[in-house]
Amino acid sequence: MKKRTLVLAACTAGALVLTACGGGGSGESADGTLTLKLVAADYGDKASNSSTVYWEDLAERFEKANPKIKVDVQVVNWNDIDTQVKTMIQSGNMPDVLQTGGYADKVADDLLYKAEDVLSPATRDNLVDTFARAGEVDGVQYGIPFVSSARALFYNKKIFADAGVTEPPKSWDDIKSAAERIRESAPDVIPYALPLGPEEAQGESLIWELGNGGGYTDADGKYTLDSDANVETFEWLRANLVEPGLTYGNPAATDRKTAFADFAAGKAGMLNGHPSLIQMSKDGNVDYGVAPIPGKDAALDSTLGVADWMMAFKDRGHQEEIRKFLDFAYSKENTLKFDEMYNLMPVTEDTLREMTSSGKHKDLEPFFELLPKASFYPLGDTTWDAVSAEIKKSGGTAVGEDPAKVLGDLQKKAEQATADQ
Amino acid sequence: MSSKVTAGGRRPPRTGRSGTRRSGLGRLGPLPWIGPAVLLIVVVVLWPVYEMVRTSFLKISVSGFVRGWAGLDKYRQLFDEPGLGSVITATVVWTVGVVALTMVLSLALAQLFDQRFPGRRVTRWALIAPWAASVLMTAIGFKWMLDRTAGVLNTVMTDLGIIDTPRDWLGDPATAWPWMMFVAVFVSLPFTTYTLLAGLQTVPGEVYEAARVDGAGVWQTYRRITLPLLRPAFLVGVVINLINVFNSFPVIWGMTRGGPDSDTATTTVFMYQLKSSDIGESAAMSVVNFALVVVMVAAFLKVSRWNQEEV
Repeated sequence: MKKRTLVLAACTAGALVLTACGGGGSGESADGTLTLKLVAADYGDKASNSSTVYWEDLAERFEKANPKIKVDVQVVNWNDIDTQVKTMIQSGNMPDVLQTGGYADKVADDLLYKAEDVLSPATRDNLVDTFARAGEVDGVQYGIPFVSSARALFYNKKIFADAGVTEPPKSWDDIKSAAERIRESAPDVIPYALPLGPEEAQGESLIWELGNGGGYTDADGKYTLDSDANVETFEWLRANLVEPGLTYGNPAATDRKTAFADFAAGKAGMLNGHPSLIQMSKDGNVDYGVAPIPGKDAALDSTLGVADWMMAFKDRGHQEEIRKFLDFAYSKENTLKFDEMYNLMPVTEDTLREMTSSGKHKDLEPFFELLPKASFYPLGDTTWDAVSAEIKKSGGTAVGEDPAKVLGDLQKKAEQATADQ
Repeated sequence: MSSKVTAGGRRPPRTGRSGTRRSGLGRLGPLPWIGPAVLLIVVVVLWPVYEMVRTSFLKISVSGFVRGWAGLDKYRQLFDEPGLGSVITATVVWTVGVVALTMVLSLALAQLFDQRFPGRRVTRWALIAPWAASVLMTAIGFKWMLDRTAGVLNTVMTDLGIIDTPRDWLGDPATAWPWMMFVAVFVSLPFTTYTLLAGLQTVPGEVYEAARVDGAGVWQTYRRITLPLLRPAFLVGVVINLINVFNSFPVIWGMTRGGPDSDTATTTVFMYQLKSSDIGESAAMSVVNFALVVVMVAAFLKVSRWNQEEV
């Protein structure tokens, strides 16, 4: 009896451990077909436009062309994908191909194939140069850009006209004077929407810092979060937008989605936005204009570029099959379909040409021009994910009393993260 | 027949075995019966605690890859966090403030619901509502009611002239804390009130009668009779609320996510914030939290001498 209880206990414990550890294995079945495991982020916001639809269709067509390879598609929503991927990595149950927001942290743990190992030369050459380079860690490309977006200044034409502002601001002083006039003509409107909340503090901060010749790293790739130019940027924001009440009362607690929603509801005069704001503005019947990002003295000719990434894991050793799959996924037909499905910007030359010249994407045209000149986060730095998380959390408070202290604390954390590598 | 006898002759050793088995079972006592429960506790309580402590000594990369032993590094890193001091202060104020307010209000409410009045049944039911609703749902509900542009509470307060223009209550720690404490008290009231109400109903009527005969006033009766007899229920309420409020995650996460920065975070929320940058450090915070809760409850029980019936 005692023995039986023990055995039962052992089985129960064993079962729990087993379910906790989960799958693994090479994915090769008896008849020689091999299963590639694809994990991808969901760009849709409802069942009908879920990325599952896109990937399953693509997998089906790929399997038809390559009968020996099966593709197991798993689409995860943006909120959970980081945690789920972490769990997969921790439990040794890694995907073959992953499409998500960042790649460099996985390079630090030596989990990924180099891009040249899993892309044919033709596919690789087809990637837009700036994006391909943003996929490099120490000069070697691991991250394969998948979709992109770029930022520009959106302004509400009606609010501007009512305030007597005739052209979009080019410099910071223009922003300030336009904001002051909007405050007078429309007191209920937020003149400039400055979202420095945890959702994307790292984005809005960098856009402003670029305007002052600052940024997150120096030419050697060392973190310069508390450089003079950056501190000055936040001091300017505090003194000219926050304290006079020309933006939200608490920018550090205001998320981008709030700012976007306010703009789309006609409650914000101007803000830095990306292409998804186009549709939102149309839905809200807001007559918007798009202009280059204003800098301290003149409009910037570059902008913040953001890309999402594709990467291939070495763990299960499916290099050949991954190459076939990625070459298929990066064909013009497929990338164009994905970009048009979600109104995203392409990262491949042929698709960019097609979308620029087809005339179907008039709205996106100002952004197409910006793409080849985009600046990026220090994506290739393997500590960036940790540093970015810190900036999201506390970066926004730099518009508070003491920018130098907030940025100095962040810089310390960034240096510590670098030292821990 | 003889073979049967022989077979029967073999029986004694067998009965002997089953005899030992029985006495073995007897020696196990209640173990086979509580075994499953013990196993459950080991698997869902002790094992996670062990894993939590172990994780706090590990170096884990952002991608989730275990890079080896970190020793006490994660604890050192945690205590070097510039925000930790204010987070701990906030946690103490939060816990003490919410529990004290809850207990005081619940005492009054319990007294009220112990009276007979028309509609008592309905109001008693109504009191359950904040308890029955998901705390996260309540928190998100209040977050939207307090929204700067669309919040109904903002509109009402502006219309009543309490404030001039709609305010961003939750964006500023100075106003976010009182609102979050209000919501935390709101969701803690039902349980506490019912605990105290149950306590009130165990006080025998004769005691009150005796007090009346002796000429004790209302206040005197309450202080000298009701409160002492309510003590066990009161202590249960305090201890459970201490643990609940200290660990209260959904109210704060639902309303401010601990932000801006960690200005509206308690240690529990701070632990969750750390998770995005360093799991090891976050686990270290959990261990500290765990220790804090144990110490806090032990200290309270000692001070209140909970196992002594008499005051």
